[in-house]
Amino acid sequence: MRHIRTAVLGAAILALIVSACSLGGGSQASRGTIASQLSLAGPPECPERPFCLKGLTATYGITFKEFKPTDAGGPITIEALKRGDAQVGLLFTSDPAIAVNGFVLLRDDKQLQLADNLVPVVRQAAIDANPVITDALNGVMAKIDQATLTDLNKQVTVDGSAAADVAKAWLDAQGFTFSGGSGTVKVGSTNFYEQEILGEIYAQVLEQAGLTVERKFQLGSREIVFPALESGDIDILAEYAATALEFVNKGAGEASTDPVATVAKLNERLVGMGGLVALDPAAATDQNGFVVTRETADKFGLVSISDLAKPAP
Amino acid sequence: MARPGGHPLVAGTGDVMAVLTSTIAWFLDPAHWTGVDGVPSRTGEHVILSVLAVVIASAIALPAGLVVGHADRGERIATAVAGIGRAVPSYALLILFVPFFGLGFSSALPALVLLAIPPILVNTVTGIRDVDADTVEAGRGMGMTGREVLMDVEVPAALPVIIVGLRTSAVQVVATTTLAALVAGGGLGRYIVDGFARQQDDRIVAGAFLVAVLAIVTERFFTWIQRQLEGRPGTLRLDVPIAPSPFGGRVAD
Repeated sequence: MRHIRTAVLGAAILALIVSACSLGGGSQASRGTIASQLSLAGPPECPERPFCLKGLTATYGITFKEFKPTDAGGPITIEALKRGDAQVGLLFTSDPAIAVNGFVLLRDDKQLQLADNLVPVVRQAAIDANPVITDALNGVMAKIDQATLTDLNKQVTVDGSAAADVAKAWLDAQGFTFSGGSGTVKVGSTNFYEQEILGEIYAQVLEQAGLTVERKFQLGSREIVFPALESGDIDILAEYAATALEFVNKGAGEASTDPVATVAKLNERLVGMGGLVALDPAAATDQNGFVVTRETADKFGLVSISDLAKPAP
Repeated sequence: MARPGGHPLVAGTGDVMAVLTSTIAWFLDPAHWTGVDGVPSRTGEHVILSVLAVVIASAIALPAGLVVGHADRGERIATAVAGIGRAVPSYALLILFVPFFGLGFSSALPALVLLAIPPILVNTVTGIRDVDADTVEAGRGMGMTGREVLMDVEVPAALPVIIVGLRTSAVQVVATTTLAALVAGGGLGRYIVDGFARQQDDRIVAGAFLVAVLAIVTERFFTWIQRQLEGRPGTLRLDVPIAPSPFGGRVAD
């Protein structure tokens, strides 16, 4: 018994001493920029990604006091911001949590993020059979701005409505009158709420136009949905311009901050992929956005990302 | 987003040799042995958090187990509490604790303590209760008080079973401490979580290997303690079956 007591007590004391030392050593906040007093919460890969911490340092000259690896725009990042464990967080620009929690989305004034505007990618064969698809999807996308997309997402993730109901209510309010479709078309989506809402909107507007729609939702990553588009397992998918372009060109760096130019490049690449075509991009984006709490924004006067590089008060 | 090049694990091509070779190269890279993200630092964090969790759990479960076992009542409640503790996944607890305790170790520690309690509690209760009734009676016959019977007769006799409880608990905790990395904590789980996020198989495998080594070392450490105690005069040698351990249903030797 004495051995045990000594061993356990010794281990506990050692552990406490070592942890106290490590806590004490980490808290030297260097004077300098505003960012040097703040912690950033984001996905674990953020320090290595050009559109995350790496790009913030390269484009904006920002280094934070600490990086806290959390999740990709998920609940852990949001909790970290709410509790003040981190002051800056990486969320997605269409995340309703930004508005719900009163976070401030910092303006990307040096245009670090590429144009991840929403854009439908469609099989040319489906359009040839039903030209109304082009009109209907372009009509829909013309109406989806950032506020609309965020609100649609909020209705599903915060209010708990079903994606199909949210899509129907929104379409009813628009009063589209597309017609002349016939036959069957397969609408796909990847596996998160925004994709399912957009999939439902595409599906329902095409059903109103007279087509029969087969829904193939919750399909997973681009590694799954792009082959499905090429092989004709799905005909229509809501995509994000810059990320889709850099996926199909295998990271050639052709995407820019201009949505129209990015979609034009995307179409050049898609021609070679079994006859796919990207239609018109929406104004709404879903891309990396750096947010702070209202309190932090007021304290340091933060409006845009470059404000973080200003000298601390 | 796809990254050109590797990730055979995630891509499912299953090129085991390539993963092993790159993992060995990972360990040989001196950059992986220094700094906050180096192996010594991450192992240290892992050990600190695990030890704290087991120590706190012991401080709660050992006294409770001794009282319940000695009084020979309340065992059902103790077992039920332990059962709930076993049934609730640590991952869920960890995420639930974040809004209350914050990121990192402050959420991971309570989740690990709750994981560590059941094996210690159950083994302590069982160990004390299963001490030979005649031995306890002999102690009472010699005029020992209840406290003396507990500390001088029951605890020494039950010690092998109690140590096994601690061993099971510690091995589980060492393996589960990896979860802390999901909420911005340190430890060896950092390699696994970051490896997945960055699509670096060598990092994932290196992390998993280090956790496995640490778990085996922990298991050996407690077995060694047990041997030391058994060699001591005055301790009853009991051939008792032990609580299920992650390494198969071994019998105390």
